[in-house]
Amino acid sequence: MLRRGFQAAVILGHHGTLPGATHLLPRFNPASAFGSSMESLVSRFCQEMKKSKNYALPNASWGPDMLSLYHEFLEKTKTNGWVRVPSFRSNRDHIQGFKLPLDLSANSDKSDWRLFTRCIEREGQGYEYVIFFQPSEKKSICLFQPGPYLEGVPGFVHGGSLAALIDETFSKTAYLSGEGLLTVNFNIRFKNLIPLGSLAVLNVNVEKIEDQKMYLSCVTQSRDQQTVYAKASGTFLQMHLEEDSSRQ
Amino acid sequence: MLRSCTAGLRSIWALRGRREGAPRLSMDLQPARRLFSTEKVIHKDWALPNPSWSKDLKLLFDQFMKKCEDGSWERLPSYKRTSTQESEDFKTYFLDPKLVEEERLSQAQLFTRGFEDGLGFEYVIFKNNDEKRTVCLFQGGPYLQGVPGLLHGGAMATMIDIALGSCTGGAVMTANLNINFKRPVPLCSVVVINSQLDKLEGRKLFLSCNVRSVDEKTLYSEATGLFIKLDPEKSST
Repeated sequence: MLRRGFQAAVILGHHGTLPGATHLLPRFNPASAFGSSMESLVSRFCQEMKKSKNYALPNASWGPDMLSLYHEFLEKTKTNGWVRVPSFRSNRDHIQGFKLPLDLSANSDKSDWRLFTRCIEREGQGYEYVIFFQPSEKKSICLFQPGPYLEGVPGFVHGGSLAALIDETFSKTAYLSGEGLLTVNFNIRFKNLIPLGSLAVLNVNVEKIEDQKMYLSCVTQSRDQQTVYAKASGTFLQMHLEEDSSRQ
Repeated sequence: MLRSCTAGLRSIWALRGRREGAPRLSMDLQPARRLFSTEKVIHKDWALPNPSWSKDLKLLFDQFMKKCEDGSWERLPSYKRTSTQESEDFKTYFLDPKLVEEERLSQAQLFTRGFEDGLGFEYVIFKNNDEKRTVCLFQGGPYLQGVPGLLHGGAMATMIDIALGSCTGGAVMTANLNINFKRPVPLCSVVVINSQLDKLEGRKLFLSCNVRSVDEKTLYSEATGLFIKLDPEKSST
């Protein structure tokens, strides 16, 4: 399905800084580069994996706010084109059958390695979140209920843990919107602290796609939108994943 | 001294509340398995070598400990819970009279120290007081993965937040962080974060840092941050 005439692996290792357009491999053709349609990206990325547990599902630790907003969006997946993005212990589960560009896969990915935002297994203790993606608008919503292990200032969420979830939501949105893969720039402005155990809603939008880079923005606020917790922006580098024929 | 710290912490948990309108979390949760429930372990200093530390990390640690001998550098200890003094400061600014769910909050612990040895954040910070800069040695473990085989950008952002914060003193809060990622960091490798205070304007602290490989040949990222000193006169809300 994804066999193309061009070799699009972007090799970061050969460059001192992240490549701009001039550092791309000669055969790279931007025009046809990200021809993987969003539909195929979404269907490939969002398929349920039989062997891997999907964490983007309610569990006993979810509070009433988290649950009700989750169900609201679940309804929208049936009527309005929203997609619930599954979430696995490792991002490797999303890209089975595909390989990372050469230099990135230098380290073998061991089975006990975990996605940072899924590192705390115990329900309700760390990150409880689910991402819904709207393909037609290239935007996402992430429902986030932080547990006690994410503490920074006593009683409140650690700024770094929020930054990590925003980066993760950016990453999923960027990938589904056009194969955005690696964070190039990340900027966050903290406005208010999020109390542990409360619900925060991350609204992510793809603002622009230009020169192989995707520009995203995020506003994190309370459900009623009365309190803005943080605003962030991120830039992601688009990278096409080759099918891994050796695995088939 | 340790006992009074704990007593201080307990009363702070009791007094602290939640924001107006914050939903109550279900109380049916089993408390998390408390790996470290004794006082002695709560006050354990985590900024010290353990078996999960790689050779690189241990070597650098020893080099910096040597520099501490003449007093020009000092190693900053690191605990699972905020120190009593810092808790007192935040209590002043963020005290909310609403009832707190003491049980839930007693499970809380500093995010970056909640992992078993080697699985998450292994780090130690050395401070040079004369030059107002710090060096943070960081080894990111297998639970900090993003793209397979690489350190999660958000984990790096967390460490940058901590490293920049280590150049400040007293009660501060992160206002802004801006990070440029130049090269991806392989998971389980060691990096060195050099941070410094660039400028102080009233209550605003402008800081910057760079993240490099142990041999200094690779620049992984550069970042700037704005931290704000909390004003004892004002309330936060």
